[in-house]
Amino acid sequence: MKLLTLPERLGLVSYRNQAKSEIKPHIKVETDICNSTCPHHCTTYVCPANCYTKDENGKVHFQVEDCIECGTCMYACDQGAVSWEFPDPEIGRGVTWNFG
Amino acid sequence: MDEKFDCIIVGAGVAGLAAAMTLAKNNMKFLLIEKGEFPGSKNVSGGVLWGSDLNKLVPNYWEEEDGGWDRFINHRRLTFMDEQSSFSVDFKSSHFNEAPYTGVVVLRSKFDKWLAGKVEEAIAESDFAMDSFVAPNILVEEVLEEDGKVVGIRTGEDKFYADSVILAEGVNNLLTRQVGLQDKYVPADHMLTGVKEIIRFDQDVLENRFQLNGRSGMSNEFVGAATNGVEGGGFLYTNKDTISIGLVLGLKDLREKEQTPYDILNHFKKHPAVADMIRGGEVVEYSAHVVSSGDKRVMPEKLYKAGLMVCGEAANLLMNAGKAIQGMDYAMRSGILAAEAITKAKEKEDYSEASMKAYQDALEDSYVMKDINNFQDAVHLLHDPFMVDKMPNLICDFGRNFFSIKNEPTKKARNMFSDSVKKHASYWDLVKIGAKGAKAL
Repeated sequence: MKLLTLPERLGLVSYRNQAKSEIKPHIKVETDICNSTCPHHCTTYVCPANCYTKDENGKVHFQVEDCIECGTCMYACDQGAVSWEFPDPEIGRGVTWNFG
Repeated sequence: MDEKFDCIIVGAGVAGLAAAMTLAKNNMKFLLIEKGEFPGSKNVSGGVLWGSDLNKLVPNYWEEEDGGWDRFINHRRLTFMDEQSSFSVDFKSSHFNEAPYTGVVVLRSKFDKWLAGKVEEAIAESDFAMDSFVAPNILVEEVLEEDGKVVGIRTGEDKFYADSVILAEGVNNLLTRQVGLQDKYVPADHMLTGVKEIIRFDQDVLENRFQLNGRSGMSNEFVGAATNGVEGGGFLYTNKDTISIGLVLGLKDLREKEQTPYDILNHFKKHPAVADMIRGGEVVEYSAHVVSSGDKRVMPEKLYKAGLMVCGEAANLLMNAGKAIQGMDYAMRSGILAAEAITKAKEKEDYSEASMKAYQDALEDSYVMKDINNFQDAVHLLHDPFMVDKMPNLICDFGRNFFSIKNEPTKKARNMFSDSVKKHASYWDLVKIGAKGAKAL
């Protein structure tokens, strides 16, 4: 069977408050730490939703919109750059699984 | 809701729902809070619910036409893989065909919602039909403490008070950390990340392909090339008209090997043995979640304080010791035991730390902690690099030689095995792993 790319996979996820343009991010990342002292930038490859990316200059960026609340980055980041909360049901994003 | 509850439960997953069901049956007044849109909406599991505790919570649950579970397990398979081959230990028995079943496959969005419906029914039959609640869409931000005792919770501006609080918030246990029972930062060392797809088939195709009969189902675990050299393993479970297929990957190893979980999942799906099983299916969901490993080094030592108990995966109660991935059954039992301890605490009107300790004592005395304590060596063994790489390779190499029929003289199996061992490892490796295995199992 055809293998899916990550964007195709994330296209199957039901996110909450998807119609709202303004959401309150439930994860805060101090990318200054990523882009100064962090030796591995591991979130850019361990995150199952690829919320952490590197630009052409090797700088780490974070976006919360695709986050599926798995928690991986909270454990993987050993540099203290990730502050992780659960999304607010009213003004956050996060997921509603159809199967789970 | 100014009145005080006997108990507030945070999280309507398996642990929280088991606690709620037990409290409702014991005529206790409680509030069960869930952050998701409905119970189960934020939950991901493999998943098989092992054991028969579900029958205690919902007697004869299998009689219901459209209950929350998908299939019962009567077929188990453990598969060792190299890049081309798979070598399986396969066990199927009609012994497992009769209810109460010893394992049922569940999809959490459906199962937890169904179980929450049963909790609502139990509330309606209790003395607190109008005063106990299942409340979704609420995020608990803080556990409230006064004079060293937990007295309730805060959500936004609202505060709710209770004699006791059960934290059943799942593996990402922020409140358990907040009250000081778990370290603020939990390192990746003994944690895994699970990634999973739900693949849909015509039900006939699924039943024929996996040799299912009625509501019977199969569970298949995979070790070796499934994870592309990363510590962990794969799984495949048959649901009603879908399969759950995925991987659990050691987070520290994933970080060190610089691999992405979704690429490894595709690597797994491309394996010839797996590709033949999933052909023609349609992916309908992709999900991911952190999972505990069962390594005691990551578990909170204390699961209680005055007015508070921690249940399920919030207490890292999950273990894979090679036989099965158990977590939901531990969650269920721990929820039941916590609710029983709270019922006794109410009788004595004593919610002190000493009174809450009865929960952890009961848990230590149950199969949950007995198994976790007894099988620590097996957990370590499974995460030994030898098990990810050399062992599956030598097993598959042996299989290839053993099952190759050529028109030439055949070596004895013993000599074939010896060749495979030499090619992929050494006898010393085998002696070491054999000794560890004998001790572990």
